[in-house]
Amino acid sequence: MLFRTNPSLGVPIYLQLMEQVKHAIETGALRPGEQLPGIRPLAEELVMNPNTVAKAYRELEHEGVIELRHGAGAFVSAQARPKKTAEAVRAAQPVIAATVKQLRSRGLTDEEIRRLFEAELASLSRAGGKRD
Amino acid sequence: MLWYKSWLETRWRFLIGLVVLICSALATVFTYPRVLELLPLVPAHVSGELGRKIMESAALAREYRGYVWSQWFSQNLPQTWILFAVLIGTGGSFTSSGAALFTLSLPASRNRMFGTRVIAGLIELFAMVFIPSLFISLFSPGIGQSYGIANALVHSACLFIGGSVFFSLATLLSTEFSDIWRPMLISLAAAAVLSFLERALQFGVFHVIHGESYFRRGSLPWIGLLGTAAVSIAFLYGAAMNIARRDF
Amino acid sequence: MTDAIIETADLHKSYNGVEALRGLNLSVPTGSICGFLGRNGAGKTTTIKVLLGMSRPSSGQARVFGLRADEQEASVEIRRRVGFVSEEKDLYDYMTVEEMIRFTAAFFPKWRAELEQRYLRKFELPSQQKVKALSRGTRTKLALLLALCRGAELLILDEPTSGLDPAVAEEVLQALVTHAGNDEMTIFFSSHQIAEVEQIADHVAIVDRGQIVVTGPLDELRERYRRIQLVFDGDAPDTHFLAPGVVRVQRKGRVLTLLSSAGAEGIVEEARTLNPASVDVMPVTLKEIFLETVAVED
Repeated sequence: MLFRTNPSLGVPIYLQLMEQVKHAIETGALRPGEQLPGIRPLAEELVMNPNTVAKAYRELEHEGVIELRHGAGAFVSAQARPKKTAEAVRAAQPVIAATVKQLRSRGLTDEEIRRLFEAELASLSRAGGKRD
Repeated sequence: MLWYKSWLETRWRFLIGLVVLICSALATVFTYPRVLELLPLVPAHVSGELGRKIMESAALAREYRGYVWSQWFSQNLPQTWILFAVLIGTGGSFTSSGAALFTLSLPASRNRMFGTRVIAGLIELFAMVFIPSLFISLFSPGIGQSYGIANALVHSACLFIGGSVFFSLATLLSTEFSDIWRPMLISLAAAAVLSFLERALQFGVFHVIHGESYFRRGSLPWIGLLGTAAVSIAFLYGAAMNIARRDF
Repeated sequence: MTDAIIETADLHKSYNGVEALRGLNLSVPTGSICGFLGRNGAGKTTTIKVLLGMSRPSSGQARVFGLRADEQEASVEIRRRVGFVSEEKDLYDYMTVEEMIRFTAAFFPKWRAELEQRYLRKFELPSQQKVKALSRGTRTKLALLLALCRGAELLILDEPTSGLDPAVAEEVLQALVTHAGNDEMTIFFSSHQIAEVEQIADHVAIVDRGQIVVTGPLDELRERYRRIQLVFDGDAPDTHFLAPGVVRVQRKGRVLTLLSSAGAEGIVEEARTLNPASVDVMPVTLKEIFLETVAVED
């Protein structure tokens, strides 16, 4: 199973699914032009709401990450955009690693570090970057 | 499918009652020869109420038709049949709590569901009256006697219509109470009390049930039949109203 | 009104002097999976009974498919298009699995025989067993099959996974999501299990003491509700917040914790005027929203 979502986090499930699709593309588990699982089969397999899967797919299409071909299904875009994201993500990894290392050396537990990141992301998503 | 469900819910009560009554009918027929043998032994005059009854029974028993009337249609049949009428009148899935929700979620009106249950019960009860009585007609030649089917039919109808008040009463009470015991006991108690009181009266439910006027004079108890039918219908209407109004 | 498959307006219901519903305003969007959360005795089952015509409201209106639930004929029409699974999953003990299916199918001309076959196999239901001999899990699956195969537009379930082990519960949820969505069924289910509501519902309604206290798309609720934590150098002040959207305030020592249902920015601005040492804005889980909105004192 390629994707797993956790409904108990404070993050909407459709966002989690979007992140996982993007991550799958970055790591090469899903290649450009390759077909994604259908909405209903994926909902059935993950035991989640098909409307949520549909929403994630729509948002991904809006961002240009995937294409929805009427009657045929969802396909990973052939564009360069995912690569750019992949590069940005790769560049970000050492930044995160360094920050986490620093916080740990200050005596913070992993749980505290996770909470700080979540809080920061939540307040950031509130203040800016909200599309609708 | 509602008919099938009503059948499944009442079939054992029905079948057991039918078998019991058929056996009772056959027993009634086949003990007659013995009764005839014993008749001459009955003393000519016995005093008291009991004595009066014994003499009356003996007088009736001399003739086969009288015997069948006094033993079967006035005693064995009504006593057992009323018990089963009450048993079949109580019960059903409106009273058993959980399954009621399933029934109520089906696209059928409450009237239709109730109506099916009532009619199924009445059909079963008529069968339980008529079929055993038919056995008497069919097997009487076996002891050298005869009992006309017309007689059996008329007495069956009287018992059925008159006795239906107890079925209807039990049905009504089952929509008032949530348990099955109170409707049964109250209905049976009503039957017992009425049968006791009516010994002194010239009319009443049991006079209709026994079809006495038909036996003695060949005239059907029309007023009694209409009266009991009306009472039955009133009870059933009340039960239907209760079910229509109820919150489950 | 047009897009709501279930709609109640100021619904009241009293039993024996107890007011079970006190002005319930529920709206369930067509095509959604709507979770109906509430504590025991909050009014979940009563609401469902009113919708299905099993109980009559004391006042107010309830409509399903736009039809009045308290009108006899309309109610029969509603039940032609609804599949229902009760909390106790009681069926007719004396019937076998096969008889229950044939009995139920007789009422629904749109009965889906292919689904019946599929679920008989998938759920491994023993055709000749009497219902009373079935385990709770198997009875639930049978009740679910009977509801799913009717060709219904709306499925109403009262605590569908109560008393089930996690594996069977997951089977039930999976069957529900398989048939949900705009072109299939709307699903309205009451539950205690917040985790399962979060898993499959896209719309939520929380009922408390006979009234809806929270309702809306689940994603929207997750984005709107925030926990705001203020830490002070001295004791936390006992202020009343003027900014709208404050659901609950808790003071403990130097910490002031707020739950806001909307407008977190406005509240944070007002909070900063109190000069806290730190301000934290955190997301809130559905469980927290539930516990905080139903535990609020009058």
